[in-house]
Amino acid sequence: MSTRKGSMLLALVLVAVAVTSLGPAPATASSGPVVRLFPTNVLEDIRATTAVAEAMENSLQDIIRRMDMQQQLYKESLCEGADGDQGCERIARQIGATYLQMLDVMSERLPQMEASVASTRDSLERRLRDELGLRTTPTSLQDSLVGQSPTIAAESQPALRGRSGVRLSDRFKQYQELVTTGRNGQSQSLAVVASDIYLDMADASLLIAATRQEIARTALMEQLNQSFGAITPEMAKVVSGVKQILFGEVVGDGPIAAPPNAIGEPDYVSPLAM
Amino acid sequence: MNALLMNALRTFLLLMVAHVLVGCAAEATDACRGQLGGTLDGAMADAESRLAHGCEYEFDRYFGELLTIAEANPDRRNAQHFSEFLLRQAATGAISRRTAEGLYNRYFNIKFVSLQGDYNTCSQTCPVRARVLSAMQTELKDKELGLLRVSSDTASFYRADHLYNEAELVLEATCRACEAGRR
Repeated sequence: MSTRKGSMLLALVLVAVAVTSLGPAPATASSGPVVRLFPTNVLEDIRATTAVAEAMENSLQDIIRRMDMQQQLYKESLCEGADGDQGCERIARQIGATYLQMLDVMSERLPQMEASVASTRDSLERRLRDELGLRTTPTSLQDSLVGQSPTIAAESQPALRGRSGVRLSDRFKQYQELVTTGRNGQSQSLAVVASDIYLDMADASLLIAATRQEIARTALMEQLNQSFGAITPEMAKVVSGVKQILFGEVVGDGPIAAPPNAIGEPDYVSPLAM
Repeated sequence: MNALLMNALRTFLLLMVAHVLVGCAAEATDACRGQLGGTLDGAMADAESRLAHGCEYEFDRYFGELLTIAEANPDRRNAQHFSEFLLRQAATGAISRRTAEGLYNRYFNIKFVSLQGDYNTCSQTCPVRARVLSAMQTELKDKELGLLRVSSDTASFYRADHLYNEAELVLEATCRACEAGRR
């Protein structure tokens, strides 16, 4: 039971880490206090998290590939449901051993990941509180979100937190690019980008912390499973989650259809408009 | 005897005047009650005429009926018609300028009337974030009527919908950060 719980948590943290692969909704350029959402130290934090994510990916990639091959061999040898077959039990134990190796790498890398994510979260939290919470009114916040161009929605994607499908380190690189283009004054709402990253980091921090607590117990239970040579569905789920991060396998729906382009006469501007 | 006669006559006259006044009031009430119909222009003219003759208390109903008529005849220029109608009503004093602005922006503007304020977001919006978002959601339905169904302005409605999603995300993050700062 605890194996299942631990594996689920691990899957969750991987998904949480993959949560960073969502599409923050671009909006229009904004000015004023929003620009100060991404000072140099926040950018440095994001860069550092990118590096940590890359290192984690590199260390897990070979293990995942090996586990893939072992699982393929297990399937091709028609081992599913073949109880008592010594060859199948040997393959199952090999898969279990590789899985344990993956857990080892995860537990080794997670503290660094946790620290990096927490640092990004904390620095963004301070900026959001100071700039959007204390130095902005609801009216000016809305103005900054609306920006200047009324047709921007036609080119943008909706805010979709929790969407996976992009390699973790690539996702952080995307964040860096979003921030950089936003800082250069190009059609991105930094308020949205900052909020998106912050909420992702907050979620990921919680899940990483929970996973770190569980991972030792999970490993112990898997070691016990080794003696029975079992491949649990949880193991498969975790491996699938890791693969999503490493190889960027796209899951989920595409963006909602963009509205049709406005044609014809120019938009009417009422003297009553805000 | 003469005094008695005079008193009776005076009472009779007063009753007559009262009767006429009550009758006029009832007639005016009837004139206010009728439903608006026909084209949007005609209905607006009818509403304006009634509002100018003591039916101000029926303004909300008239506005709703005008929206229903316009919904049946969607046109991109309808937003302008409503703006001009509201401006005229504000000018005649049937409604205040603030009410005119509120109604126009609620139905025909991308921005949300529900997300306004002069104090900082931490103190004004965060304590009532759920209520603000709920009000924005309701307002989005009104914008769906005004922008999409009355004005056929799909792009603006999608922009308003997108703005709602963005505001929800940004408020969630900002308010969480505000809360963390208080701990």
